[in-house]
Amino acid sequence: MDQTTNTKNILKIEGIYKAFPGVQALSDVHIELRESEVHAVCGENGAGKSTLMKIITGVHKPDEGTILLQGDPLKVKDPNDAYSKGIAIIYQESSLFPDLTVLENMFMGHEIEKPLLPFFKKASMIDYPAMRKKARAIFNRLGMDLDLDTKITNLGVATKQMVEIAKALSLDSRILILDEPTAALTSKEVDTLFETIKRISGEGVSMLYISHRLDEIFQIADRVTVLRDGQYINTEDVVNVTKPQLVSWMVGRDLDNLYPKEQAEISDVILDVRGMSQEGVIENIGFTLKRGEILGISGLAGAGRTEMAQALCGLRQADSGTIYLNGEEVRIHDYRDALDHGIAYISEDRQKYSLVEPMSVKVNITHKVQDRISNALGIIDEDKENEITETYMNQLDIKAPDGEFIAENLSGGNQQKLSVAKSLAVEPQILILDEPTRGVDVGAKSEIHRIISRLAKAGKSIILISSDLPEILGMSDRVIIIKQGSVVGELMRNELSQEKILEKAL
Amino acid sequence: MQKRNWMTRELVLIIIVVAFMLFLSVSTNFSSRSGIYSFMLDVSPTIVAAIALAMVIFTGNIDISAGTISGFVAYTAGSLAKSGMPLWIFLPAGMLIGMLLAGLNGFITVKFKVPSIVVTLAMNMVHIGFYATFLPQSGWIENLGTNFTWFGRGRFFELIPYTFVGAIAVAILFMFIMKYTKFGMSLYAVGGNRRSAVYSGINPDRTVMKVFLVEGLLLGISAVMKATTRSEVMPSVFVGRELFFIAAALVGGVSIFGGVGKIVGALFGAMLVYLLSIAMIYLGFQDYYQFAIQGGIILIAVYITVIDVEKMKKTFRRKKRHVITTGEGE
Ligand SMILES: Nc1ncnc2c1ncn2[C@@H]1O[C@H](COP(=O)(O)OP(=O)(O)OP(=O)(O)O)[C@@H](O)[C@H]1O
Ligand SMILES: [Mg+2]
Repeated sequence: MDQTTNTKNILKIEGIYKAFPGVQALSDVHIELRESEVHAVCGENGAGKSTLMKIITGVHKPDEGTILLQGDPLKVKDPNDAYSKGIAIIYQESSLFPDLTVLENMFMGHEIEKPLLPFFKKASMIDYPAMRKKARAIFNRLGMDLDLDTKITNLGVATKQMVEIAKALSLDSRILILDEPTAALTSKEVDTLFETIKRISGEGVSMLYISHRLDEIFQIADRVTVLRDGQYINTEDVVNVTKPQLVSWMVGRDLDNLYPKEQAEISDVILDVRGMSQEGVIENIGFTLKRGEILGISGLAGAGRTEMAQALCGLRQADSGTIYLNGEEVRIHDYRDALDHGIAYISEDRQKYSLVEPMSVKVNITHKVQDRISNALGIIDEDKENEITETYMNQLDIKAPDGEFIAENLSGGNQQKLSVAKSLAVEPQILILDEPTRGVDVGAKSEIHRIISRLAKAGKSIILISSDLPEILGMSDRVIIIKQGSVVGELMRNELSQEKILEKAL
Repeated sequence: MQKRNWMTRELVLIIIVVAFMLFLSVSTNFSSRSGIYSFMLDVSPTIVAAIALAMVIFTGNIDISAGTISGFVAYTAGSLAKSGMPLWIFLPAGMLIGMLLAGLNGFITVKFKVPSIVVTLAMNMVHIGFYATFLPQSGWIENLGTNFTWFGRGRFFELIPYTFVGAIAVAILFMFIMKYTKFGMSLYAVGGNRRSAVYSGINPDRTVMKVFLVEGLLLGISAVMKATTRSEVMPSVFVGRELFFIAAALVGGVSIFGGVGKIVGALFGAMLVYLLSIAMIYLGFQDYYQFAIQGGIILIAVYITVIDVEKMKKTFRRKKRHVITTGEGE
């Protein structure tokens, strides 16, 4: 977009302060959003990005500061108020209702109404046909076809994310805030989303765009503002910044190697999976995994990567297939069995499977290892509990005042780190990581990569499922590619390239 | 594209209710004129109250004092009728009392952030104490005239009680409200996921307050329906009735965790709970046994309508899964 002709501010935020118990989330932050620009907001996990957005939409009240909407002071009581003033948001955490349908979710809180009776205009009722029509139009615009009567709980993460986007678009707003909208999407869906973003910004909608995928920022944004530890660092036109510059603003130092892979000794086969099938989902999947190896799993969303991992861990019942662990056949009926055999799985959908959200960080980290740290009577040894908590909080740099902090209040990226910590705590032999760095900032990402490398070096075996191709290329010793539920290719580290993977996956 | 799942909880429930009626018709005089009449008469107040409780439960709350609130309503209506007031005075008065008391529950729940189960449990005891201490003769009023009883005893075509027609009308109205109004949708939202509700611009506190007021209004109607079948009023007979209301809602597939359920479920849940008690009487069980056996059967009923349908759905879904899953997020 060209900014020279259009420099009118639609939204001006000044001197915002916000403290939570134990955390100064924002201090003296300012941002100016111009008309029809895409303004990226960057910063490490816990930098205060989501908090700032929630202040704009009235979820949180700022302790201090002013917000001007087209020059007038903006006072929002609650999110509904923000919607009515033309501000819509896609939150980082899900705002959907699993037991309701796609249609009901899209319009929850802002249903389209029509008069109950033609002559009595006061009483109104929800106009389902009109909502249906609008919903279809929005999904068309997003280039997807979805049954509006499906319940959300039956959808995968990526589709859920598309529903969130559709929900925000249904508000016809002037300002659209997107808090990590692409974290759960694959490249094709990201492309569709970007097309939509470009189109609606052309229609005069201004956008605040948060993402940890820096490439996206260069692709889509006009300007970028960086926050660090709740403080304003800088705002710059995207054309005038380089990626290393941006990273150094974010982390306050220069970052060396993004994929710090260390050479691990790869020895004998530890896991051998043969003929694993589940009708309509995965078909005749077979592969081996060696001690000390990082096996990358690549493929498009919907190809069956997660399903394969879930079947392996007993989280989903396969129709057939045998699993050999250290040469012996084992049966895994449920996830408990998997853990007993030293196989741990970190889900891509942390809110659904992984975190016990209203509980403390400590409970979340230690709850799968309770057996190990309790005595014969089942009483938990608190010292050990604290020790484990501290170890992993330090190792993964989880930003929380202490172990008693409620997991729900962590920033999104720190929740992701927590769910990694939780599985590391069980000290598994085989660790299956499903999109482990989704929504994680660059610094923490390289930290997670370092930990993966270190685990491999210590003789553990890793299965790494990722849609992030550079991550797959950087970390894997070997990659298998899955397409439509079957293994369609295998590449060794020395023959890896983006093109070769895509060629097989598409 | 997924087909609509026709095998809903509610349908299973309806089938069970019909089967039960057939069974009773064969083995007892249930299908006689008087049998049908007394079923409709007995079930009507429970239908209305079950709908009231279902709405509260949708939001993830509960009201343990629904029985004792009904007692206050009955007393209020009775004493007004005793001084000669007609239905169009004592019914709205009863509804108002219901709204006041239930509204107080809602207010305390919201204002002091106390779980409603705690608030209403305490209120239940407060109400019982109040009956005994402050109401003359513990609220007993006798010899009420036809200005009171015409409503509870009246019937269309010598068969269908006025109250039954009223209960069905309430059920239809609330089915409409749940599906076609913002208020209805917001109940599911608040009970389903409070945070998401806030994000959707719904104020959970205000919604909870509203739902308690609506509950009180419905309890007012329900208690007047029940009280006007007799020429005397005794608040303490309502003590404990909330268990039936709650059971009816749960048997009807309303999730105790909130966010899930249908009014039609509460309607048929109320019928099933009543059919059970009628069956007990026909089979000649004494009161105490009746309670125990009914409790057991309610458990079984909840199991059949909730757990089993979920299982069936899962088996269903497993077959269909691939249709849904392919092309979606893994
Ligand atoms: N409701 C809350 N209660 C207490 N602390 C909170 C709450 N919400 C956020 N915080 C804290 O405020 C800080 C900023 O969080 P915020 O969610 O804004 O970070 P973020 O920049 O969005 O990070 P991420 O990239 O991980 O999403 C964090 O330290 C977080 O733990
Ligand atoms: Mg965030």
